[in-house]
Amino acid sequence: MTLTALSFTLLFVMGTMLVSIWQKLGLEKDIAVGTIRSAIQLLAVGYVLQFIFQAEHMIYVVLIIVFMIGVASWNAAKRGKGLPGLVWRIAVAILAMELLMMGILLGLHIIKATPQYIIPISGMTIGSAMVVSGLFINHLKHEMQQNKGEIETLLSLGATAQQAMQKVRARAVKFSMIPTIDGMKTVGLVQLPGMMTGMIIAGADPVIAVRYQILIVFSFTASAAITSMLLSMLIYRLFFTADLRLKLPGNVD
Amino acid sequence: MSAVFEIHNLAKFNWEAGAQGESRYLFSRISAEITKPERVALIGASGQGKSTLLRILALLDIPDEGDLLLNGASFKNSNPREWRMAVAYVAQQAVMLPGSIEDNLRTISRLHGQPYDAALGAQLMEQLGLDHLDLAKKAEDCSGGEKQRISLIRTLLLRPSILLLDEATASLDIDSTRKVEALLMNRHKEEGTTLIWVTHDLEQAHRISNRTWVIDKGGMQEYSSAAFFDQPVGGAVHS
Repeated sequence: MTLTALSFTLLFVMGTMLVSIWQKLGLEKDIAVGTIRSAIQLLAVGYVLQFIFQAEHMIYVVLIIVFMIGVASWNAAKRGKGLPGLVWRIAVAILAMELLMMGILLGLHIIKATPQYIIPISGMTIGSAMVVSGLFINHLKHEMQQNKGEIETLLSLGATAQQAMQKVRARAVKFSMIPTIDGMKTVGLVQLPGMMTGMIIAGADPVIAVRYQILIVFSFTASAAITSMLLSMLIYRLFFTADLRLKLPGNVD
Repeated sequence: MSAVFEIHNLAKFNWEAGAQGESRYLFSRISAEITKPERVALIGASGQGKSTLLRILALLDIPDEGDLLLNGASFKNSNPREWRMAVAYVAQQAVMLPGSIEDNLRTISRLHGQPYDAALGAQLMEQLGLDHLDLAKKAEDCSGGEKQRISLIRTLLLRPSILLLDEATASLDIDSTRKVEALLMNRHKEEGTTLIWVTHDLEQAHRISNRTWVIDKGGMQEYSSAAFFDQPVGGAVHS
């Protein structure tokens, strides 16, 4: 695709902005900022990937994955205002997930150990883990507020923090995985996923594209489950004081 | 099993106090000592901090000043789980845990890896007039009065040495109230359980207690129940 052809797609953005102005939706500024940001971010990542693919050095792959985990953790932690030390806990959960996933994918030779495979697949699973982490934290906070009585009842019967939180944690893990599981059920029927679409447009055989998509769908499900469960183990104690009293963060987003 | 329980100069701040002249304490300088199994009625007007005091005694809330000692050990050096198993709190609003009535009764056994005392469970259910209930019934579907009694039985299966009761009969009819009172008096007599019972019903306080703690104007006075109810001193409470 030429840059001229690409620039024509700005017509979509301009049309949307005009509708926003006409209907007084007040979205023009957000759309303009979003358009510029996404264009800069994607063009930058394109050049970064080009450099990494040519450099063929694993240190760059590690650096970009660390950067992705950092941004994903920082972004997901915004859902948990009032919970100290959340960013590094999310980072640990996502990092553990990434190591496990890549360990299996590379160890069993499911994908080739080249930046062209590792970076896009990591990006997709880390992005999915970020969404799952945000959902999990949001729902856990909500569950804690709703079920304060249940947790205090268990504490008053001599429960540990882990015992008092068991049901609440399970419900939050389940909730955070609903979009991933729903997506898995309808994939190909409702939406053709981005990776598969991209490969087909780039000229790949649809059956080969589907194989990679299946790999991604399974990876997403596993990464959602692993991240959510690890995170639940890492953060439940934040809701208790050292002397085992319930401590709720101020507000629920 | 009886326990020695001491309350030393306990105070709790009132974080919402702002008006001029308003005390920054919800209550302060609260002291009491329990050296043998007792039945204590904790009375006072609404908003004086009775429930807060009870929650502090169960370590669900923290005092801002003062100390609590159980068998000579300060709460600051105690394991909160062991403390709560000995000094057990029954909340005013009974909360049923997810699952059936039986799941709720088995909570203690599940939490502490102890065998479930089915005989005691059945006996307590019968004594509180709940023996007609199907144990497989979802606990959440029980009536308010049933929930309050199930929550009391759930705690009694812990066999605590001190039982903190926050208006434990508030949603019960007269018949059920009397059954709860009889059961608790019996536990006190046979097991040496100390009862610290918040109630707004002065007749009930008279019936069940041998000591009365009156919490009023940020402080607490202690009376022998016989003396207090024959010649009530706590005029504010009665009015």
